[in-house]
Amino acid sequence: MNRRVLINWSLALGVSLGLSTLAPKVASADVLDAVKKAGVLKVGTETEFAPFDFIDKGKHVGLNVDLFDEIGKELGVKIEWIALPWDGVLPGLESGKFDIVAGPATITKKRLERYKFSPPIAEATVAILKKKGDASITKPEDIAGKATGAGKATVQLSLLQDLVKKLPKQGEVKEYVGFNEAYADLAAGRIAAVANSLPNIAFVAQTSGAFEVVLPTFGPKTYFGFPENADAEHVKLNEAVAVAMGKIKADGRMGKIQKKWFGVEFDTPAEVKEPSL
Amino acid sequence: MTSLLGYLGGEDGRNILSGLVNTCVLWVVGTLLGTVLGFLTAVARRYGPRPIDWLLKACVEVIRGTPFLVQAYLLYFGGPYLCLELGGASACLTLDPFEAGILGLTIYAGAYFSELFRAGFDAIPRGHIEAATTVGLDRWQTLRRIILPEMTMLVLPAMVNMSILLLKETAVLSIISVKELKFQVDIIGNRDYAFVEAFTILALVYWALVELCGRAGRYAEARLSRYRFAHS
Amino acid sequence: MSWELFWLLVEASGLTIVYSAVSIFFGFLLAAAICGADLSGRAAVARPARLFVSFFRGTPLLIQLLLIYYLLPKIGLNVPSEVAAVIGLSFSTASYQAEILRGGFQSVPRGVVEAADMCGLSARATFRRIRLPIAVRLTLPALTSEAIMILKSSSLISVVGVVELTTMAKDLASSTYQPLPIFASAGFIYLVINLVVAGLGLWAERSARRGHA
Repeated sequence: MNRRVLINWSLALGVSLGLSTLAPKVASADVLDAVKKAGVLKVGTETEFAPFDFIDKGKHVGLNVDLFDEIGKELGVKIEWIALPWDGVLPGLESGKFDIVAGPATITKKRLERYKFSPPIAEATVAILKKKGDASITKPEDIAGKATGAGKATVQLSLLQDLVKKLPKQGEVKEYVGFNEAYADLAAGRIAAVANSLPNIAFVAQTSGAFEVVLPTFGPKTYFGFPENADAEHVKLNEAVAVAMGKIKADGRMGKIQKKWFGVEFDTPAEVKEPSL
Repeated sequence: MTSLLGYLGGEDGRNILSGLVNTCVLWVVGTLLGTVLGFLTAVARRYGPRPIDWLLKACVEVIRGTPFLVQAYLLYFGGPYLCLELGGASACLTLDPFEAGILGLTIYAGAYFSELFRAGFDAIPRGHIEAATTVGLDRWQTLRRIILPEMTMLVLPAMVNMSILLLKETAVLSIISVKELKFQVDIIGNRDYAFVEAFTILALVYWALVELCGRAGRYAEARLSRYRFAHS
Repeated sequence: MSWELFWLLVEASGLTIVYSAVSIFFGFLLAAAICGADLSGRAAVARPARLFVSFFRGTPLLIQLLLIYYLLPKIGLNVPSEVAAVIGLSFSTASYQAEILRGGFQSVPRGVVEAADMCGLSARATFRRIRLPIAVRLTLPALTSEAIMILKSSSLISVVGVVELTTMAKDLASSTYQPLPIFASAGFIYLVINLVVAGLGLWAERSARRGHA
């Protein structure tokens, strides 16, 4: 290698490593003030998580869209959606691409070390989705030796991996960019089961007609919440969102939204302090 | 920097290495099979009957006119719905991501390589072929002794460029969950909240591979161009 | 597959066209600057130009887009999705177009430039009247292919949150479980757009040749 090349390379290496280790720039302004001033709350999400966020006939719809419309009304701002692949959503929150994540994400101890969470919006406990009429799977443990799958960088995936590790015969656990790809593979017969949270797969089973939910659930009881930035600038915004959600819950709007997307109303705790996971 | 080296040991290191190996396998196998497919296509178009030429031309244009990602989606997600019914039994094109990746790269590369070879055929002076026929070489001998060596020299630089494009396209396959380099590094970056570092390192690794490939190509060109003097 | 779905794809292809066109335009401007720097003969500008070209030709666009979207905020440049997509596509195409332009300028016959010089044309006039038109004429076919490449590459910008034709196709495929007709239709739309671009390229080549028999 000649000298010029060496210089170029070390320059490039130095610049990129230097950039990647720089501390994030400190935003001095309070985010809630900025949001109100701009009149826009930027919400990041992934649109492969029916019934929370999904694309129906080319339009982004779901529980989150309805709920954030209400939150927007409470805060007096418009909602701007930014849709990324799931493994880009939390990085996007950290990079300041949006003010809050609609996700939703399972509330876990590890995530609480790094993020704040809104009040829980639904139970997130995980179960198995199988192809309709597949008699070989009647309980979660029946996936022994079969190929299964879940979305990349999700809690549901790691719970599935934990379950499979405990089984006598271990089938392959595939990781997908989004849950829709996993459902597509289930429909195509590449995998025998998808693990996802009960509200999600109940909705998918009901709307697609091609799948069935396998009960009971497995793994610990968990809840979904909206991930939020944990730094000082976001404290006021996070509080305002929690207050808005409390109001939406108390006056029955939340119940209506739940009924619309899940077919039933249900209660969730006001806060998750000690997640089971 | 020391924290980065920490990833190279243990399970993470093995996963990254397997991703790198998969990337290289996809790249090399895709390029080789693509070269074969492209050459056969170019030969069939040149020596085959007219309708074959038209049909293949249409295929090549379709493949070159659509994004690789759409082709990968079509193969991977559409494949299982592409079934062949044969007397009651039906076989569907249900490929796993890696197989779909290899097949997709081969077809994509084949289309581009066939155009390179076609241009290569056209660029060989007619006189050389006529001369070969005059000295009594048959069609096969002419192809092997005259056309192929001359064409290799003509198309080599373009082939190196194309194979670099292919290396970069392999990263797209992470979207259909092929466990190549980007897929594996992404998982670790996401788990440890080190996504920016992960992307930076990925960029540097691909850059190094591409530079190496370019250098190897220029070296091969220099070696081959010695033969060019022999008959210019 | 219904016409309604097909129409949604056609609508989404509008964004594919807009992002590609804007990026090709900015990419060309940037490429002209890079090419100028590279051919200037001054190492201080030529070296960064070459490094830029080497990096953006040497790394997958998918990763460039992610770097622009997630790395830039670390240095205080928090660009929204749309801007990140345009930057990624323009930088990528600029690196290719710069090489194409360089090839074009280097292929301008020496004799023509010398002749212009002898006729007393200034360096500026030689550039504007002789070298630039010849170089553009020589590079038009390659620039057309590059435009088609970028149209196809725009299928990746969904990783930074922009919904275009390919993403729309994927969303529709997964909500209707009809991947085959939907992805085939998306491919068909790309093909039509690219045939139009190729046609425009040929037309441009023909008009550039006029008067240069």
